[in-house]
Amino acid sequence: MPGTPKAEFLQSVREALGRENVPPIEAYPRLAETPSELEQQVAQMRQHIEDNLPALLDKLAKMAALGGWRVHRASRPEDVIEYIETLARDSGTANVVRSNQDVFNQIPLDATLTNLGLTVTTVLRDETTTRESLREEIRQSGIGITGADYALAETGSVIVLPRKGLARLISVVPPVHIALVRAEDLLETLDDLFLLRRLEYHQQGGEMGSYLNFITGPSRTADIEMTIVEGVHGPKEVHMIILG
Amino acid sequence: MPEIKTQDFTAASTAAILDPKLRRALDRVAEGFHVARLDRIEEVTQDVWDGWKDQAREIKVHTIENLDYYLELLDKNVTAAGGQLHFAKDADEANEIVAHIVRTRNIKIVTKSKSMVSEELGLNPVLEALGVEVWETDLGEYIIQLAEETPSHLVAPALHKSKEDVAALFTEKLGIPYDEDIYHMAATARTILRDKFMEADLGISGANFVVAETGTLVIITNEGNGRLCTSAPRVHIGITGMEKVIPSMQDLSAFLRLLPRSATGQRITSYVSMTTGPRRSDDEDGPEEFHLILVDNGRSKMLADPALREALYCIRCGACLNICPVYSRIGGHAYGWVYPGPIGAVVSPMLVGLPKAKELPQASSLCGACREVCPVNIDIPKMLLDLRKKTAESPDSSLRSAPEIERVLARLYAKLMSSPKLLKMGVKFGRFAQKLERMTPVFSPLTTDGKWIRNAHIPILSRWTKSRDLPTLPKQTFHELWEKELSPDDS
Repeated sequence: MPGTPKAEFLQSVREALGRENVPPIEAYPRLAETPSELEQQVAQMRQHIEDNLPALLDKLAKMAALGGWRVHRASRPEDVIEYIETLARDSGTANVVRSNQDVFNQIPLDATLTNLGLTVTTVLRDETTTRESLREEIRQSGIGITGADYALAETGSVIVLPRKGLARLISVVPPVHIALVRAEDLLETLDDLFLLRRLEYHQQGGEMGSYLNFITGPSRTADIEMTIVEGVHGPKEVHMIILG
Repeated sequence: MPEIKTQDFTAASTAAILDPKLRRALDRVAEGFHVARLDRIEEVTQDVWDGWKDQAREIKVHTIENLDYYLELLDKNVTAAGGQLHFAKDADEANEIVAHIVRTRNIKIVTKSKSMVSEELGLNPVLEALGVEVWETDLGEYIIQLAEETPSHLVAPALHKSKEDVAALFTEKLGIPYDEDIYHMAATARTILRDKFMEADLGISGANFVVAETGTLVIITNEGNGRLCTSAPRVHIGITGMEKVIPSMQDLSAFLRLLPRSATGQRITSYVSMTTGPRRSDDEDGPEEFHLILVDNGRSKMLADPALREALYCIRCGACLNICPVYSRIGGHAYGWVYPGPIGAVVSPMLVGLPKAKELPQASSLCGACREVCPVNIDIPKMLLDLRKKTAESPDSSLRSAPEIERVLARLYAKLMSSPKLLKMGVKFGRFAQKLERMTPVFSPLTTDGKWIRNAHIPILSRWTKSRDLPTLPKQTFHELWEKELSPDDS
């Protein structure tokens, strides 16, 4: 493989810095934290969210709407299903793809969508379904429905992490994305999220998972004359349904 | 590296100033991005904003001062996540690493999300020479790729093109009927590129940040092309400058707050996509291979120079471009290389070599607006002055940007201004000369109100005076006024 060997490259950096000592003289406070310290911080953070849940859910709804989500709040699973039924009917699509996440046990919507005459594909690999066939199914779908690993009140973002049954492409390829958010998915700030992810990283023996995606509103561009166009490569229409 | 035209700055900027269409485009950016940015700061309050800036700067200072340590940590963790980290000392090496991957993995189609570093490396021609299809997928980048041009802004690469320009370009290159509806043009790009995302074997992205603790690459985008480039193809290569590393995931908070607000005035972009290694066995999709290429390409020269080191803190938000009175009149292309605007006037000379780019540090009124808007408090005017000093004091006369006579005059001016006696004499002489000039206006006429000397073609000084009106000397200087009427001794 071409390129400069690591040792040589680092040596040139050290020379530029006029620095011989490795590692830094002053330890970086964050990197020195132990998992139990992180756990304590996470417990405090969780408590804070629990104590302020209604206000934080309101904030999430407000920030999500500012970020371009069409926000719908529901108090019961039936309301969620009804709302999605309306969206699906109005969209005129024939195919819907959904992830295979826990949230769909709580909100079973396949039967309703099938009754509308739609084909519902669930992301589930088995003998007959390969990664290639899944990708094609996603491409043919007019709506992609996913849960949220987290929802961030600060930014109005949905956070998705890799897991079995959740393809990266569901939330970016179909022209409509619906994200289902439950009260327990709520975090307040970016700091909350990254603290939690760091703790999980260390708890899982240094495994971060292959991706972490923030989604905040529709795909958009302003590259021609600063005019905002939605749905340039990703979805044009994104719905956040908050249950709770 | 792409063609360097920094040496043509004077001619290119003069031509750009006279282009009314460019001016309109630049005004749109200034209004759009800059005003939205101010709104976002007001929303969070200046105090909070300043706190984020200090936090971000502190992280950058620490990381850059210990860059070797964090690069080593990053290497360890990219590898642990199943990815490969490559170090490239220059553009040729970086391009060769990509070429090697392309050849050995039988790559036929490449999709790219926006990467200024890949522009810096001149990667596309290298890939095309290998016979692969290369598709820029950011709408602005797609437009300039079709037009065979270079980006003119860090964030809005095609801002110099009007909708009519783009419509004509699409008609010419894509063979479609002329249609200047912006929504239709975006839809055309979507349709064409959607197929390419799915067919591509290799996705190339830049990186806004890379996290040493976890080996994570972070990209911040609005269109979703970044997510498609890093999710659909079987190989993902991230390319970025070695200065983009930050210690821990928690350090991202400050930057995710600052970057979108500073760049486009958004609270956050539509997508923030973080990638750590290739897909794992349980993942339903994602690339099989993950490579990260970190390039030096002149950055260690900045690192080695204490006066210019802080240029490496730059997060490429473009706020200094949007506010700059020079950039907003000449646009990005006049700067002659990949990085335009105030930060470009510092970075380009360091990356292409000061002799070729000695004019760029002069392209500033030193008003300080760039320093004020910088989300990591980079003192750009100070670095521009340092570069000016380096050009002025160089023993190599070809490096100096001013002719020898200007240097002599500057020294005389310094003498004059630091001696009250000489200054008094100078003013008297000046008034005399002014009287003579009024009787025989050989150099140039005064304005009708008699207060300004217009377009004075004063021989030696003409480079400076031809585009500036000079005030006439007053009947009384402040010194004279002070002595006569205001001095306390008078009373």
